[in-house]
This record gives sequence, C-alpha cells and structure tokens, in this order.
Amino acid sequence: MMESDSFEPPPPPPPLVPPVQPPSPPVISPDAGPQLAGRLHPLTLVFAFWNAVRNIIIPLIVVYIFGRRRGPDTYIWVAAIFLGLPVAWAVIRYFTFTYRIENGELITRHGLLGRTERNIPLGRVQDIRIEQGVLHRMFRMADVFVETAGGRGPEASLSVLARGEAERLRAAVFDMPTAQPADAPARTPDREVIRKLSLRDLVLAGITSNRTASALAVVVVLWQFVDDVVPQETYQRWVEWFTQRAVEWHSHGGGLHWSLVVIAAVTLIGIGMLFSVIGSIVVFYGFTLSRSGEDIYRSHGLFTRRSSSLPRKRIQLLKIEESWLRRLFRLATLRADTAGAGLPGQNKDEQSGRDVLLPVVPRRDVELLLPIFFPDLDEARDPWQRVSRRAIVRGTKKGTAVCLLLAALSCAIQRSWHGLWPLLFIPAIYALNVMSYRHLGYWLGDRFFRMRSGWLSRATHIVPIRNVQSVVVRQTPFDRRHKVCTLIVDSAGQTHTGGGPRIRNVPAADVLDVARTLAHRAARTRYRV
Amino acid sequence: MNPAEAPAPAPLTLEPEFRSLDPRVIRLWRVRHAITSVVLLGMATIAVISVGMATNRWLWPAIGWHLLLLLRVVLLFWYPARSYKSWGYRIDGKVLETKRGIWFRIHQLLPLSRLQHVDLHSGPIERSFGLASLLLHTAGTQHASIVVPGLDAREAARLRDELVAIGGDDGV
Repeated sequence: MMESDSFEPPPPPPPLVPPVQPPSPPVISPDAGPQLAGRLHPLTLVFAFWNAVRNIIIPLIVVYIFGRRRGPDTYIWVAAIFLGLPVAWAVIRYFTFTYRIENGELITRHGLLGRTERNIPLGRVQDIRIEQGVLHRMFRMADVFVETAGGRGPEASLSVLARGEAERLRAAVFDMPTAQPADAPARTPDREVIRKLSLRDLVLAGITSNRTASALAVVVVLWQFVDDVVPQETYQRWVEWFTQRAVEWHSHGGGLHWSLVVIAAVTLIGIGMLFSVIGSIVVFYGFTLSRSGEDIYRSHGLFTRRSSSLPRKRIQLLKIEESWLRRLFRLATLRADTAGAGLPGQNKDEQSGRDVLLPVVPRRDVELLLPIFFPDLDEARDPWQRVSRRAIVRGTKKGTAVCLLLAALSCAIQRSWHGLWPLLFIPAIYALNVMSYRHLGYWLGDRFFRMRSGWLSRATHIVPIRNVQSVVVRQTPFDRRHKVCTLIVDSAGQTHTGGGPRIRNVPAADVLDVARTLAHRAARTRYRV
Repeated sequence: MNPAEAPAPAPLTLEPEFRSLDPRVIRLWRVRHAITSVVLLGMATIAVISVGMATNRWLWPAIGWHLLLLLRVVLLFWYPARSYKSWGYRIDGKVLETKRGIWFRIHQLLPLSRLQHVDLHSGPIERSFGLASLLLHTAGTQHASIVVPGLDAREAARLRDELVAIGGDDGV
C-alpha cells in the first residue's frame, strides 16, 4: 500500500455512487459522521473496584476459615488475584472502549492487543435494557445492555454510562428515522403511562405467587410423609414432645397436637408468603408500564432499578397466565416473548422480573390492555373451536392409571386396604378433565391465533399470525386410534411464555384444514423482526 | 390441474398433489441402515462374547443378539420402503407442506415468506447416489427447521431456487 496514507489525515471516502444523494429523513447520509459517539464514564473504574470488593468478600472468608495457619501472604495473594485482575481489566476496558452510532449501525470497539469492532445494525436491536443498582443511582449511572434477535445474552454491554447518556443512546437507536443531533439534550419522550402497580398490587402478587403455592404443596407433602412413612413410634414421640411444649405454653394440653400441626402448616405457608411478598416488592417496586408511540417501556425495582423497552411490533407471542391461586383473587399475569429473548430457563430472568410483561393485573382489565400491545387485534367473538370429546376419556384414563399405580404402591407400603385411598381421586380427575375440555379452545382469526387452556390454572396464548413461523400437525399411534392430532404453532422467542400454542386432541378431520388456513394466512403476511 | 397457477386466496379448493421423493432414496436409506447395523452388530458381538466369557452363560446374550439382528433386518428391508411411501411434499401457493412418518405422523407447514435460509446438503453417500436434501430454516424455536431429503441433486437445486423465489417475493 502507499506509505503516504499513514501520515496524511485520511481523505473522506469517495462516494461509491456519486450522482445519487438521497438525504430523505429516514436515511442518514453517509458523510454525516457519527450521530452519537462516546465512551464509558470515568466512574467505571470506581464501579469495577466496588464489584471486585464485593466479589472478594467470599474468597476472603474462605481463606480465613481454611487458611488460618498461613501468614498474611495468603491474604495479599487473594486480594491481588480477586481485586487486581478485575480492576486491571476495567482500566483496559475504560481506556479502549468506544461506541458510536453511524450509518444506521451501533459500533462498539474495545480491546488493547486484539481490537474488536462490533457492528450492530440498529434495525436488529430488539431491546436496550438499562439497569441501575443502588450505587448506580447514587451517582446517576447505569449499565446498558443491547439485545438483538437470536442472541445468547446481550450483544453489547456498556457499563457504566451516565444515566442521561444511556437514555440518549436508547433514543438514538429506537428513533432512528428522526434522530436528533448528538448535542441535543437527553430528552425523555412523552410517555403515556399504561399501568402502575401499587404496593397493594405487589403484596397481592407476592401472596398469590408460585412460591406460596409451592409452600402449600410442601405442607401437603410433608403431612403425607409424616403420616405415611415415619414410623408410628417416632411420630408419637414427636407429638408428645410437641404436646409437652404446648402444655408448657398453654395451661390446657389434651388433644392439642392437631392444632400444633395446623400452626406449623400456617407458619410454613406464612414464611413462604413473606418471602414471596418481599421478593415481589424488591423486584417490582414502582412498576411502571408506559408507552411512547410504538414502544412499550417497563421500569421497576426497589434497589436495582431496571428499565427496558419493547417495540410492540416485536411481541411474538402474548400469554395471559392465571394460576389457580391468582384466580381466587381474579388476577392474571401477562408474559410476552420477543425474538430477542435469550435461551429458555434462564433463572436470571425470573430473578430480575424480565420474564413478565406485567406481573399482576386484575383479570377484567386484561381485555382493555390487549389493544395497547396489539392495535390490530381482532376480537374473538365467534364460538371458540373445541377439541374432540375424546380428550376427556384419554385424560381420565391417564389419571386413572396414575391413581392405580399410586394405590398399588401405597398398598404395598401400608400392607392394608387403607392404601387404596388414591382411587378416591378418580371422580375428581374425571370432573377436572371435563372442565378442562370445556375450557380448552382455539380461535383462528384473520390476524391472530388464540388458544386458551386449563381450568384450575388457566392460560391464554395470543399469537399474531404475522409472527407464525411454521405450523406442525402430529399424530401418534394412540392419537390415530382416537382420530385426533396435535396442532403446534411455532413462533420465534418462546423464552418467557414456555412455548407457543400446542393443542392436543384436535379432531383429525379438521386439523389439516385449520393448519393449512393458518399457514396460508401467515404466508400472506411479512415477518419483520 | 395446474396447481402452480391456483389463486392464493382460495388454496384449499385446488390442492396440488403431494410429490414423492426420488425412489433412489430407498436404496440410500438401506445403505445407511446397513452401515449402522454393521457397527451396532459388531458392538453387540463384542458385548455378547465378553458377557459370555465372563459369566459362561451364552443363551440370553445370544437371544438378544438375534433379536437385534432381526430388528435391523426389518429396518433394512421393510422400513425404508414404508418410510418412502409416507413421505411427501408439495408447494401449495406460498406454503410448503411436508408429511412423513409411519407410526408417528407429522405434517409440517412452512409459510415460505418465513424462510430465513436454505441449506442444500449432500453427504458422501448421498452424492454417490446423485441425491441431495434441503434444510429449510425459520426463525421459530421448536420446529425451526424443516427437511426434505432424498431429492435428485438437480431437482433439489431447482426446488431451492423456487422456494427462495416464492419466499422472497414480497408482493404480499
């Protein structure tokens, strides 16, 4: 190459197609320079140090416990490794990390020896998540994560930026067509609040969460266990011990062991509830769902404030979830999947509340909220299609088989006809299957496919047909005997909703017609990520 | 009946016939089954001999070995032909539909405007038969890819171009 190039300032690149210059608003002209550029905030170093200190505490405790006989050298080594390395890494990152938005791309660069440059087309950005821990909030800083479709985790993480800078970045990415110049003040677009959750809502959400339900289940199982498995003698001794304690507390004693068990159960449930209420408040405190144009914003959190945005066009699948406990309070949970969501079963999402669109909402308000997420939602007025009545028989048979197995097992353990108690559940199983059959249904509209299922715990899936990726019809040999099939509607995402519609026991005579109609309607639309 | 010209809005009235795979695929599958069988039976033989030597019991291991042989023979001679018969694919307007399966039947319908990319694949054995398979990918999750195996290599390339052309045609 020519040597002179390295000494002269690089000339502006010659335009590839000289005569055509369309400066129409949506297209950012190539020689406009970076539209937004910046680097990490100097406080990055402070935050890195703080994180390192937090991470070092546990290793130090370990060293303290196991290495007491070693000299102070050990501490220095541990400190050097666990404190020095992250801080050194942060220093390198701070001095080498830059980002800019140019030509419709977000470009990040970092690296000391091997420079990495990553270009992310703005159109592919699904979400810009902003997270603020307590320390972040004190200094008005934020961690920013850029998510794209099909990514395993964030495509780019910028930690830390000033809060205003983070907002500016988000605005620049999502308002690309009407992008502001870089020197414009950080503006918060007019946001229309859709829903705020009060403390009362959060307490309700906590009480009715799965954790309470699992505490209930634990109580039932424990009670069974104590009753069945523990030898009578031990059990007696426990009861005596409990009774004695009780007698010490109360003046009257006889027959108190029952109430003690009840008290224990209530305590256990209470603890479960307390934990889930605390969890719900910590994660969702100040939950606000708002909207600005096409984008939906969520922000929440007591200590760590999290905010994320979701262009509503990118909702692949919406699920209205009503667990049986929530149904008692006429509450529901909304979950949504975007194509940008990561892999299923990421625990972190649940802890950070990312998995729900709206943690808790009165069931009757859901219908009012739906048009906000799907403006072109067609109303499901017609009677919903039911599946084959064979579903009842098949479900009951399955349940009966399980009951028989349980009965045989418990007979073998107890060695008496008392072990037959699981058979008592068979009528209930039949009733449950009838109710489930009555509630199960699907509805194929022009633009949306819906499915509802479950009776005790209910779920409703709403899939925009423009997001349907493929339709699958399956038939097992057992299905064939009952002349039914399973209909599966596949879509992108499916991280938070636990999968798209999967309808069992659809009559074989109808299923292919439904599948073909759905596929043809999908083929007539375009899928836009 | 010329299905390709069927108007898209009324696809259910004029359904094109399912096309079969190339019949050579039966032999291809047999060759594949034969290779797997040789490997499996070889491993089973070693297992039978070592169990027999160690315990000095030969009857049950030998019965197991013969059962495996029987299963592989069935798979070799009966299964590929039946599987071939169950396979079918068709392009109905803008939807590709495939069907397959003897016991577990499965129909997959792919709206071609959802096609993300297409792989044309032909392994060494496939190539020696002059065959190729198409792998169609969508942005979906559980059923993100649909396969059409056992196509004549030239037909596979033609089909791929046709599918991409239909899928890329944005005049929806």
